[in-house]
Amino acid sequence: MLVTWRYRIRNGLMEKFDPRARWIFSFAFLFAITMFWDARFLLLFFIISVAWYFLGRVSWHDSRRGWYLVTFMMFMMIAVNTIITGGGAGGVVPPGGHQVWPQGTTIPLINWHFHFGLTYERMWFAICQFLRIAGISAMFLIIPYTMDPRVYGVTFRGLGLPDRFAYSMELAFRYVPTLARDFGTTFDAQRARGYELERVKGGIVKQIIRIAPLIVPVTMNSILTGEDVTNAMDLRCFGTRPRTWLYKLTFHWQDYALVAFSIFLLLGGIVTKYAFHIGNFWVPDFWLRLAGK
Amino acid sequence: MQKKSLWKFGTREVVYSAIGAALYAILSIATNWLQIPSAANVSFRPAVAIPMFFGLAFGPIVGFIAGFLGNIINDLVAGGGGFWFWWHLGVGLLGFFPGLLAVSISNYRNIKSILMTELFIVIGVVVGIGIASISDIWVSGMSFSAIIAEDFIPAAIPDLINGLILVPILMVAYDAIVKRSGR
Repeated sequence: MLVTWRYRIRNGLMEKFDPRARWIFSFAFLFAITMFWDARFLLLFFIISVAWYFLGRVSWHDSRRGWYLVTFMMFMMIAVNTIITGGGAGGVVPPGGHQVWPQGTTIPLINWHFHFGLTYERMWFAICQFLRIAGISAMFLIIPYTMDPRVYGVTFRGLGLPDRFAYSMELAFRYVPTLARDFGTTFDAQRARGYELERVKGGIVKQIIRIAPLIVPVTMNSILTGEDVTNAMDLRCFGTRPRTWLYKLTFHWQDYALVAFSIFLLLGGIVTKYAFHIGNFWVPDFWLRLAGK
Repeated sequence: MQKKSLWKFGTREVVYSAIGAALYAILSIATNWLQIPSAANVSFRPAVAIPMFFGLAFGPIVGFIAGFLGNIINDLVAGGGGFWFWWHLGVGLLGFFPGLLAVSISNYRNIKSILMTELFIVIGVVVGIGIASISDIWVSGMSFSAIIAEDFIPAAIPDLINGLILVPILMVAYDAIVKRSGR
């Protein structure tokens, strides 16, 4: 079994930023954008997110699988929940509103007349939802493609995670190829004994039970190996002193600038929303004029 | 195997958190093709049994990290749509709750132990997937009924089935190791 990381060096501007500054920015963005349902603010956040995404220089070919998933998710949330059923707009869009087809609509050929309760307000909310979800997706989707897995441990240590937790993270990344190889060996050994993972016959329970001959040996073997690794680490006095890291991260001017911008984004959002009470769901007049109001 | 404090995070826990996370990621990637018959875009992830079992065997912190970090690694390798913090947190909680039994279970074959574990798996799935699903109210503005129908049920039911079937199998296998090695 071949396991490869999505990350590769792309020489994008994003890679010039310290991973710690990038995490701070991503989370500040997330908390700031989720305070607003006003399309004007959401558009601003969306532009920031798209600009940030393109700094990563990730090609469509690389990221398309992630985008397919996001598109499916957005379709369910926006088209199905907000437009068709109205469930997605609950709690944000005020009840009532201007109906798109107040007299109802008739489906041609079968002459079925029905009242589809879609309102202009809900349609505007769907646009806001798109801006928000697409903005957040672009901000977080880019991470696996542009952040070096080797620096995750030291990054989270730098963000304040205790040494042991950060080291656990580091170790997990290093274990992936080893365990993938063990998994491949076990899989081949079981197949040589007539095991067929790909057989899709049988119900759900049978399919899960069919996984057991694969999961059990790999898991138990890993546990036994883990004891040896633990002993080796204990013999080397692991955890008695703060550890040093193979990769060293240093903040540069651009990182300070990004952190300052993140603070501005978050504090600006909090002040705008909670001190000035601006940023709640709002429908522009031109949109309502479409409804003839 | 000598059991100590539930919240201890020593060298052993560091190693097993890492192994659990890597194992969860590898098995998730390997079984991504496993689809529920006649359901659209809902895949089974038998790997959820790993954080549950690691939590049970090595404590709630290990279980949480195995799920949380394993889900991050899975996304990093499979490119599953990016970094969805709240879903990583949810998978982490799947391992956390069975982990609360870590000091109270010594015989992994015992029917009572298995039933207790099953109960905590159910709690873990309900809380973990529940929190992950509820995050969509905050992030995407979905209503409660919509997240139940679209997020919670499609994610929780496969996780429950996988956990309830595979964790007892792993427990029986682990019991043999514990007894043989005297750990």
